[in-house]
Amino acid sequence: MSLNSIGYLFREAGRSLSRNSWMALASISTVTISLFVLAVFVVVSVNVNHVTTILQNQVEMRVFIKPKVPRSEEMAILHQAQHWPQVRRIDFFTKQQAAQNLKSEFPDQSGLFQVISKSNPLFDGLDVYTKAPQQIPVLAARFSRMPAVHNVVYQGMVVKRLTRLGHILKWTGWIVEGLLGVATLLIIVNTIRLAVFARRREIQVMRLVGATDWFIRWPFIMEGLTIGLVGAVVADVVIGVGYRWVLNRASVSLPFWPMAAWHPVVVETTVFTVAGGLAVGAVASIIALRRFLKV
Amino acid sequence: MIRLDGVTKRYANGHQGLTEVSLTVHRGEFVFLVGPSGAGKSTLIRLLYGEERPTQGEVTIDHFRLKKLNMRQLPRLRRQLGIVFQDVKLLPTRTVFQNVAFAMEVVGASRKDIMKRVPQVLELVGLSRRRDHFPNELSGGEQQRVGIARALVNQPSYVVADEPTGNLDPDTAAEIMKLFQEINRRGATVVMATHAKDLVNQLQKRVVAIEGGRIVRDEARGAYGYES
Repeated sequence: MSLNSIGYLFREAGRSLSRNSWMALASISTVTISLFVLAVFVVVSVNVNHVTTILQNQVEMRVFIKPKVPRSEEMAILHQAQHWPQVRRIDFFTKQQAAQNLKSEFPDQSGLFQVISKSNPLFDGLDVYTKAPQQIPVLAARFSRMPAVHNVVYQGMVVKRLTRLGHILKWTGWIVEGLLGVATLLIIVNTIRLAVFARRREIQVMRLVGATDWFIRWPFIMEGLTIGLVGAVVADVVIGVGYRWVLNRASVSLPFWPMAAWHPVVVETTVFTVAGGLAVGAVASIIALRRFLKV
Repeated sequence: MIRLDGVTKRYANGHQGLTEVSLTVHRGEFVFLVGPSGAGKSTLIRLLYGEERPTQGEVTIDHFRLKKLNMRQLPRLRRQLGIVFQDVKLLPTRTVFQNVAFAMEVVGASRKDIMKRVPQVLELVGLSRRRDHFPNELSGGEQQRVGIARALVNQPSYVVADEPTGNLDPDTAAEIMKLFQEINRRGATVVMATHAKDLVNQLQKRVVAIEGGRIVRDEARGAYGYES
């Protein structure tokens, strides 16, 4: 395709979009809404993955020891475990220390601490740090087999649940996106069809003077791609601004919650929305042209 | 060279447009197709520009065989043809100049060639002064001149016309016919379906008469031969 034709292509796509500006606006907003929903799913997924990764990197496990076990036996367990090969570090804490920690973590819950200080329901225990995260389940099993141990809590369970949540989110996202995608597709197909209909005289003349089929089709495909791309850009701007706002709010009201940083999140959503927008635009124009231009 | 070899055209609804038609038109010829309405003149013209395909037989234009012409070849064939219609088919939102230039744009001509060639054809059809008018500001004859300019702008070897003077008064029709003669004189082969009895008689060109889908007469310096 020559340079002349490429110039022609862009002129025609622009001319057609401005001529049917209301229909173009309708399809662009539909694309924007669908892609916005897609982007929200991406943002949430990225955040869930972010938390999962952070938790996976915190190599920590907490072993609670049954009440009424004498301190000497607790110390025996501590010294025994210190020599296990997987253990990097191990700290003993009493239930009084546990209560103190709780108090400093949640300074507003004074009512709760009055109850705790009267009869402390917490356990003595051990904070165990492993050398590698995959050793946690092995170590946890070993501790659990000890008769004095009440139970073992480690992040692995949380990580597992978060991973499952991530999967569910992903699948829900794909299904919702699939439905929205079909709706968007239909709207764009209609827009392109109207554009073809509006230009049927031009198309007839083009065919009679020997324009090739692809020369006739390209402006409409360009139009579909433009609708998809503009929709994606609008969705990205909204998401970019919106996520920055969420981050600012979160830093105030959830200061310890680990949020994924702005830049990688927006890069990820942009990749998804631009790819999605272009794909739906291209597929829609090809469907529209198949039904209209039986050339 | 245009050749029809035993061409039969049957439409999907069973109507037979042409039956066993054979015809040869050499380069540089000027041929009138005459005959009553519904005789098959338009079918023959439409076969020539590939809008219809023969049911039997073969239509050949230069090296193009139209029966099995594929979608890639059709545009190439059409660039060898200038097609003129009774209902001109101008684009109402474009000026005279733009209408003619459009035919060059869509086959990928450069801006420079367009700016050079379009004024030449407008000069030839006598519409240089009207170049910036819109079709609805022109008379029927002027509109048809724009249609002819558009057909000629890509310098086709063949000009195919389906009743180009059908909507025009006799004087205007005579002017248009002169224009076709001029085009033919400059080397283009012209095939024209027409009802313009007086003009056919006057021009003394080859006349092919079609009735009921068959060629009934083919005379080198013929006359219209029907009471209109």
